[in-house]
Order: sequence, then structure tokens, then C-alpha cells
Amino acid sequence: MSVTSTVPLEAELARLIVEALHLETAPEEIDPEAPLFNEGLGLDSIDALEIALAISRRYGFQLRSDDERNHRIFASLRALAAHVEKHRTR
Amino acid sequence: MTAWTRQKERGSLAALRLMTRLVFALGWRAGHALLRPITAYFVLTAPAAQRRAVRAYLARALGRAPGLRDVFRLYFVFACTMLDRVFLLAGRSAGYAVEVVGLERLDARLRAGQGVILLGAHLGSFEVLRVLAGADCPVEIRPMMYEENARQADALFNALDPARAGSVIALGRPDTMLRARECLERGGIVGLLGDRAPRGERMLRVPFLGAAAPFPAGPHLLAHVLGAPVMLFFGLWRGPRRYELRFEPFAERISLDRADRPAALAEWAARYAARLEALCRAHPYNWFNFYDFWGEFEDPPPSPSAPCPAAEAAAPR
Repeated sequence: MSVTSTVPLEAELARLIVEALHLETAPEEIDPEAPLFNEGLGLDSIDALEIALAISRRYGFQLRSDDERNHRIFASLRALAAHVEKHRTR
Repeated sequence: MTAWTRQKERGSLAALRLMTRLVFALGWRAGHALLRPITAYFVLTAPAAQRRAVRAYLARALGRAPGLRDVFRLYFVFACTMLDRVFLLAGRSAGYAVEVVGLERLDARLRAGQGVILLGAHLGSFEVLRVLAGADCPVEIRPMMYEENARQADALFNALDPARAGSVIALGRPDTMLRARECLERGGIVGLLGDRAPRGERMLRVPFLGAAAPFPAGPHLLAHVLGAPVMLFFGLWRGPRRYELRFEPFAERISLDRADRPAALAEWAARYAARLEALCRAHPYNWFNFYDFWGEFEDPPPSPSAPCPAAEAAAPR
């Protein structure tokens, strides 16, 4: 159940996350504004690496650890989508 | 971070600086002479639960009922490694004899530019690695630790080895694994300990010294995701200022089948525990988990901790 509307890239990323992590959750069930880690979707840092790898394969850019915005980037599906939109090369 | 925790950290950092200055002023010999009375104090004042846990471990490792002498020896060896840690961290390794075993395998990989995961335990002192790092280790070494320990270790490094401050990778953050992967890609070493984890971490019960004990799944999962070779390492205390630093091959690659991941994880944890068991039997007084490791006693175990606060501040995970 999602109260907030989902934009196309968010939906695409949700599918990518569900596929990369083999989640039981359906992509459309991921609330774009809910935290991805801990209390939200319950992801951990290993999942974060898998997501980072999947994103670099699909969108052609690397997520780097020295990016101080990492906490914000991984805060929610929406934040992640915004970051991907800005840096994608394909 | 609240002002209170900041202040507390500043306070303990000042205490740490004072303590180390004292030890350096007195010298290793005087510091070492103090270890017996200090050990006696901690043995005599150890909480009942800790005493019971220590005796339970010793009985398993020694294969007989431990005497007070055994308990004293375990605490004494721990105290020795604490004192040495201060000297080793500060780079004052003159007077130390470290026999290195198995370095060729590690060295070959590093020279080939391949990153390596070093998996250790709370067995002996892994600060002995510092001797190596100081000597001619060609690559960066980054310890991975749980948040709380990472903060304490950073404080310790700040006080004793400022060049290494910031080298710790805190576990459990979104970018933890990105940091680890980048270090490995640069041909570096990430090190972590595989025998202990904070409450709430996923644990696997595997055979260890005669009974099932909980070991964290995290290190093996992490190695799987990072895809780098894993070697075991142990800095065993063999006598005053005498250590044996062992490197042993563990896995070319830990690769977990998604279909049966829990079983595969348990298998790796069991292999790790089996190796640890052999070392505990060979070096029984090097084991520094002073809590109910098997979870075999009724009352709630205290949070895993070392026997004294100063030591705890210094004990990395």
C-alpha cells in the first residue's frame, strides 16, 4: 500500500532492487519515501553494495564511498532515484 | 551525537593519553612488573558471571577442571596484550620479537595487486599486525568494526597513531561495503574478527570446543559479497614481548549458493570455528571473550566485554 505516487524511474529502481536482492516484496509495495535501511525496507550494508553494483551496471556510473551524501542518497527510494537521474550516463 | 557523549569521549580520550604517557615514562619493564598485581585485582574482583564464563571456557579448552592458576594466567596474558597494544600502536616495537608464520601466501597476493580479507578472532592481540604494517607492508590495512568499537578505536588511534585515525571502516552503515570494496580494489587489506557480534546480529550455532556456540554470519556473508580471498590471522602471545603472527589460507573465495544460503553460511562458520578451536587448545590462555560464549547459563549474559573498562576501550572487534 503506497500513499505517495511513484515516478517512472522510482518504479524502475524498485524493480532493480527487488531483482538484485531477490526480495519477497513486490516492487510497487516499496514506499518511495520510506527509509530503505533498518526500520524501513530493512536493508543492510551488504544490500547497499548489491544495489550499488546493480546501479552501476544499469545506469553506467559508480556510487562511491567518499561521497558524503551517501546517507541522504540511500535514505529512500526517492532520494536514490534523484541521485541516479542526476548522474546516469545511460 | 549529543553533547554528553561528545564530552564523555573527550574525557576518556584524555584519560587514555594520560595513561599512555605514564606507561611510556615508566617504560615497558615497569609497566610489565605492575601487571601481576593488576591481574590479581581483576581476578579477585571479577563478577560471578564472568568468573563462571571464564572457567567454562578453560574447562573446554584445557580438557580438565581449571584451577585458580589457569584463571590467573588467562587474565595475565590479556593484561600483557593490553600493555603491548599501547606500545605497538605507538610504533614502539623495539624489544618485541614477532615470529611471522605463513606470510608468503599473503605477500604473494598483495604483490599481485589482489586485495585480501583478513579474518581474525579475539585470540591474542591483532595489534601485532602493526609491526608488520610498520615494517614494509606495501598496502593499506583497514580494520572493520562495529560502530561503538569503531569510535573507541578511532579515539585510540588519535591518541597513539594519528596517521591511522580514520582508517577504521564502521560496520552497518549504507556505505560500509562500498568502502571495503574500494579498499580491496586498490589491492588493500580489510581485517575483521569473526567470533563476536553485538546483540541483534545474525548468529549461527556451530560446534566449538565440544558444544554448539553462536558465531556471527556477517563476516562470511561479507566475504561472499566482496568476492576477495579470505585468510585467517592470529597474533598469539607466546611470552613477554614475544608473539607469533600467523596467516593461514581460509577460502579462495566464499561463494554462497542462494538456494541454500543458511546451510552454506553455517558451513563456513563451522570451518572457522573448527580452526579457532584447534588454536584455543594449542594456546588456551589467548582467548579474550570473557563472557558466556556458548550462552549456556541461565541468567542473561552481560554484554560482551573485556574485564576492565580501560581494556574494553582498547579492545577492537
